[in-house]
Amino acid sequence: MKPNDAETCELGQQVELIRQQQEREFQIGVYVSWAVLFFFLILAFSGLKINLFGFEIKTIALDLGFITRSGPNIAEGIVVTIILSTASIVLACLLALMGALGRLSRFPPAYATSTFYISLVRGTPLLLQIFFLFFALPQIGIRLGPMTAGILALGLNYGAYMAEIFRAGIQSVDIGQQEAAYALGMTRNQMMHRVVFPQALRLIIPPIGNQFIAMQKDSALVSTVGFVHEILWRAEKHGRRDARHLEALLIAATFYWILTIIFSACQSKIEDRFSKGVRE
Amino acid sequence: MTQPIQPSSMVQVVDLEKFFGALQAVKQASFTVDIAEVVCIIGRSGSGKSTLLRCLNFLEQPHYGSIQIDDVRVIARPDGRVDPAQIHALRLKTGMVFQSFNLFAHRTALENVIEAPIIVKKMATTEATDLGLQLLEKVGLTDKKDQYPSRLSGGQQQRVAIARALAMQPKVMLFDEPTSALDPELIAEVLGVMRQLVDEGMTMIIVTHEMDFARNFADRIIFMDQGHLVEAGSPTQIFDQPQDARTRQFLYALDHQN
Repeated sequence: MKPNDAETCELGQQVELIRQQQEREFQIGVYVSWAVLFFFLILAFSGLKINLFGFEIKTIALDLGFITRSGPNIAEGIVVTIILSTASIVLACLLALMGALGRLSRFPPAYATSTFYISLVRGTPLLLQIFFLFFALPQIGIRLGPMTAGILALGLNYGAYMAEIFRAGIQSVDIGQQEAAYALGMTRNQMMHRVVFPQALRLIIPPIGNQFIAMQKDSALVSTVGFVHEILWRAEKHGRRDARHLEALLIAATFYWILTIIFSACQSKIEDRFSKGVRE
Repeated sequence: MTQPIQPSSMVQVVDLEKFFGALQAVKQASFTVDIAEVVCIIGRSGSGKSTLLRCLNFLEQPHYGSIQIDDVRVIARPDGRVDPAQIHALRLKTGMVFQSFNLFAHRTALENVIEAPIIVKKMATTEATDLGLQLLEKVGLTDKKDQYPSRLSGGQQQRVAIARALAMQPKVMLFDEPTSALDPELIAEVLGVMRQLVDEGMTMIIVTHEMDFARNFADRIIFMDQGHLVEAGSPTQIFDQPQDARTRQFLYALDHQN
């Protein structure tokens, strides 16, 4: 039997209400589960001895005095970490764009330079590259500050990986878009600039965000060459001085994690902005 | 073997050859299209008709022969090293409509139409917008001007695509199976716009499977088979008195497919 209009309307509203309810229940379930997981994480560092059905479970005790004393100074490293990783990701994006265009070029030197760079950088460890830039360049008279060397190393390294992301993004724009641009009389540059890049950007922003999040942590490797007072460098200094290594590392871990959570939130905002005209 | 173009012709294609690897997609294609003439190219899938059309604005590089549109003449080369400026000049003479519309996905309907006039012709934005609105009105989509392509039906997208091509004021409109990707109920609205262009005296070359449209609106039909231009003539000649066995076979198969 076919329901009349009023009934279908009512049924439709009911279905929508149920759907919203289910969505809310899912969200609440996720928050509760997060809270439980977080509780266990805190518990693991509470120093309590827990007796569970006859089994004694030990947890890690922390020196809270050290944390309150050293926390603020380690926190000052956050700014350094942000500057370091932001400058590096900007450099990486420029290199990645050039690398991707080189990979797509039919001009042999451009193609070769790009593939050579990508192969060399992806073929060696980041830590090694950081040391190399810091120790090798002075041999040929180029003296870079540790911060500059760090930015250069991180940018060069991430640029090589991101070149492949950029290339994939550019290539995944439908070929019909290029054909339409050419048919309208656009040059290759106009086509790239006006048609392909804006659409590729939407596809490469999520992976770039992901790379940036990874880089915020990899920036800690720069502390190995010393004198870059970012989060981990400060944490190690404080930990060594007071022999409170674990506490120091936990403080650093907390700051990195908070940074990541904040940036992840920004990332989804940025993605929303670039999805215009495509997602519906 | 190239003869000077007749004053009345808009397009002259001479001895065009196109290869995809070892496969020859277009074989010794020669034809002319007069000013305001409507030519429909018909044939089976894979007969080379789309490739031939796409060679006319060098979206596919032909390997031999010449193409003249209006006063621009381009000679194809086997190595593909044709002066980009010549290809550009040829493209400015043509407007193209694709089977899959190919509207710029990140631009609204109006932005799609005004993009090339602004970027390629360096037209002022206000002037381009006036032109764009005029063209959207012509294709009946004034109310959709601010919609992104993803919010438009296939028929609406194709009409915007026609407006976009017209915005460059081409001498010849090239249609590559403009209704093949459309749901049956949307075909009429696109054919309606094309009919309007026929009435206005636009020179048009149309690759199509819409035989009713071809019969009613084409001045001339070209039948292609395996890269060859097999037969050309008025719709009555081709549809009612086909001379070549391959044309007869194709039309017979069409009549008996339903």
